[in-house]
Amino acid sequence: MHLALLLAVSALAGWAPARWASGDPKTLELLAETPINCLLLERSNFSAEFARQAAGRGVTTLGVIRPEGEPLAAARQALQAGLDGVVLEGAFERAAIESIREAAAGAKRVLVELPPRRLLQLEGGAAVIGTYQGLWPGIHVEEAGAVRARPTGGPWIDTNSGFLRFVRALTDAPVWIANLPPTKTVLPVDRYLQAIADAAMLGARWVVALDEDFNRRLVAREPAALKDWRRIGAHLRYFEEHPEWRRLKPYSLLALVQEPDVGALLCGGLLDMLGGRHIPVRPVSRPALSEGALKGLRMAVTVEAGALSAEQKEALRSLARSGGMLLNGPPGWKLPLPKGDQITLEKADLAKVDEVWQGINGVIGRGNFGARLFNVSSMLSSLLGEAGGSMVALHLVNYSNYPVDSITVHLQGKYTRARLYAPERPVQELELYPVPEGTGVDIDRVVVCATLVLN
Amino acid sequence: MTRRELLALLGSAPVALAKEAPTAPVAIARAASYNGDLTAILTRMFDQLGGLGRIARGKTVTIKLNLTGSPALRFQGRPLGSTHYTHPQLAGAVAHLLGRAGARRIRFVESCWATGGPMEEYLLDSGWNVRALAGAAPNVEFENTNNLGKGKRYSRLKPPGGGLVYPAYDLNHAYEDTDVFMTLAKLKNHETCGVTLALKNSFGITPASIYGDDAGEDQPNEKPAKGRGNIFHFGKRSPPRSAPQELDPASSREAGYRVPRIVADLAAARPIDLALIDGIETVTGGEGPWIEGLRLVEPGVLMAGTNPVTTDAVATAVMGYDPAASRGTPPFRRCDNTLKLAEGLGVGTTDLKRIEVRGLPIAQVRFPFGL
Repeated sequence: MHLALLLAVSALAGWAPARWASGDPKTLELLAETPINCLLLERSNFSAEFARQAAGRGVTTLGVIRPEGEPLAAARQALQAGLDGVVLEGAFERAAIESIREAAAGAKRVLVELPPRRLLQLEGGAAVIGTYQGLWPGIHVEEAGAVRARPTGGPWIDTNSGFLRFVRALTDAPVWIANLPPTKTVLPVDRYLQAIADAAMLGARWVVALDEDFNRRLVAREPAALKDWRRIGAHLRYFEEHPEWRRLKPYSLLALVQEPDVGALLCGGLLDMLGGRHIPVRPVSRPALSEGALKGLRMAVTVEAGALSAEQKEALRSLARSGGMLLNGPPGWKLPLPKGDQITLEKADLAKVDEVWQGINGVIGRGNFGARLFNVSSMLSSLLGEAGGSMVALHLVNYSNYPVDSITVHLQGKYTRARLYAPERPVQELELYPVPEGTGVDIDRVVVCATLVLN
Repeated sequence: MTRRELLALLGSAPVALAKEAPTAPVAIARAASYNGDLTAILTRMFDQLGGLGRIARGKTVTIKLNLTGSPALRFQGRPLGSTHYTHPQLAGAVAHLLGRAGARRIRFVESCWATGGPMEEYLLDSGWNVRALAGAAPNVEFENTNNLGKGKRYSRLKPPGGGLVYPAYDLNHAYEDTDVFMTLAKLKNHETCGVTLALKNSFGITPASIYGDDAGEDQPNEKPAKGRGNIFHFGKRSPPRSAPQELDPASSREAGYRVPRIVADLAAARPIDLALIDGIETVTGGEGPWIEGLRLVEPGVLMAGTNPVTTDAVATAVMGYDPAASRGTPPFRRCDNTLKLAEGLGVGTTDLKRIEVRGLPIAQVRFPFGL
């Protein structure tokens, strides 16, 4: 690989991407208050002047190519315009990908693939693992604007975090999720902040994409749009300024052994069920299942035990011999891969997942697998940590329109220092106190997101 | 009403019907917010009722909170205490005053929605600072009364006169092992009962282990995970055989008939010694966010009394209703009047002319709830 290309690929890990709806170089000034340094441009905005001025500001430009029309011609146009690479968004024929890859490599440019989830190559060594398919994060609103609400439970939160948790457990590559905001909808800025945090709490990046109205107002420099844009910048910067969090892995005493073909790529599956109850979980893929991978765990759940090899089964038995608990899903239980553009469970699959979930939930009970959180019904969380747990980071994301007050966290084990980080707020040292499981800590308020770091 | 129901009602409280139900004063005060000096306001109110020392010194005081529905369900994302739960600041102020008045032990109780887990965790999930509340007075305890809890057996409490729906109720020991029973209710409408105040708060003293939809056929289910719709509201099934069975299985299955009577039964079986109604911030139109048409309001008022019926009568009047209204009249559009049923059992009077109001007059704090 050419040196320039190698450098570009290594820089990919630091790219903070956004879809950019303008080819006017003056709009690059809007990036000044954000850490965005990688722009995805539509074909109509491929421009040599824009690419030149972007490069002058240290901003990478990538041309978005779609399967429709003449993708190779579009890719060549991007490269000729001096863009730094191309992004293949959609379900391409393999041959088309290879011809574009060849063209990009020939021009010493980068190629990023954003396929549908069903075509994700999680173990192929890609520079970026990404998809354009994602749910728009937020509290699930049913028809007529009602939030799903019953006396028996809290609101369901639409999230990509279960999917991202699985992907992040399988790869060390940068992970992008490039879903668009809902069409014909004007969104309050908090919804964008939630989308940023929904991905970032798992160490992934949401490719920033604004709705049409916001874009128009931003380019026109309307004060309200600029104010919201600054908040988006602050929230992106918050995560970009802590690359050490991105390197942490899901931390838990509970492992879920799962593969893409049992629902790991769908939203609303077991990882989201566990996430909804704030139960930390460490996804383990079947190939990675070994005694080492299960060391120190208290419980492992396998959703397709029949597909395991003799060695993998022995690794699970070893966990059981050391006092851990094993829970197997029903024999032959499977969920389909995502179909077409559908990434959520169908009704019949929901019933299947619910059945398995009831079994898991009954065994887990009120157990503490790393952290237990209280007063977090409108939130999702992600517990990440270093091996051994000497440092853990607990990301919290609030999906409601109101700040959440008085959150309590009970952590498994003894910690001596707790700091709370939040966008647009100074770092706060928090008091720790003993609880039966280990360490307790109280958080006054979370607006959109915060991170509790414990040593 | 069938002949059997009439006989049951007449047979239930012949003595009470023969004489006037008792009265007791009710104190009313303004409280603009939960961040104000609640301790000073409550001290004045309790003094108007004769002082807390008289009631609590050297005693175990059990305080029933109102934490209805799952803590995960918020109305417009607001803190639960600002909508349909008892507010933690108020609970803390009450605990502090009880401690200062010499209470030997203060036990916060609630039959926590759909769980038999520790009450402390339910409170944490509700956004309460349990450590602060535990430190508000000496010997503060918490008990989830949705099952056997810390007790070894259930307490069987009987309404004097035989009961309107059940002859007795099996409850968590906390409701028997106490010297003083206090209720810390919220000023709200109720879908089934019209209003939910001090009396209706006692509906939540019943354990879902026995009266829940997933209670056992023969024995309690010590891991309850559901509400009390089938047994209490609709009479679709019986409680476990281990518990007292319904007096008249042929009586109406309508919730607006059953729930007010069960509440009246409970108020008679487990008398309320002190009632405090939180109307600082609340909701109108129903008891929780699962009811359509809920609206946030800030009446900014507290009411306290030593008789739950007189306290509820005053609170109902503050809400803009006639506390003696009959079925079909707001707020009792589709239900019998719980206050009148409790009055019939001799618990207290609903006659505002016989209730002495101390502090502010009703007219000065009236806040019409509509319906």
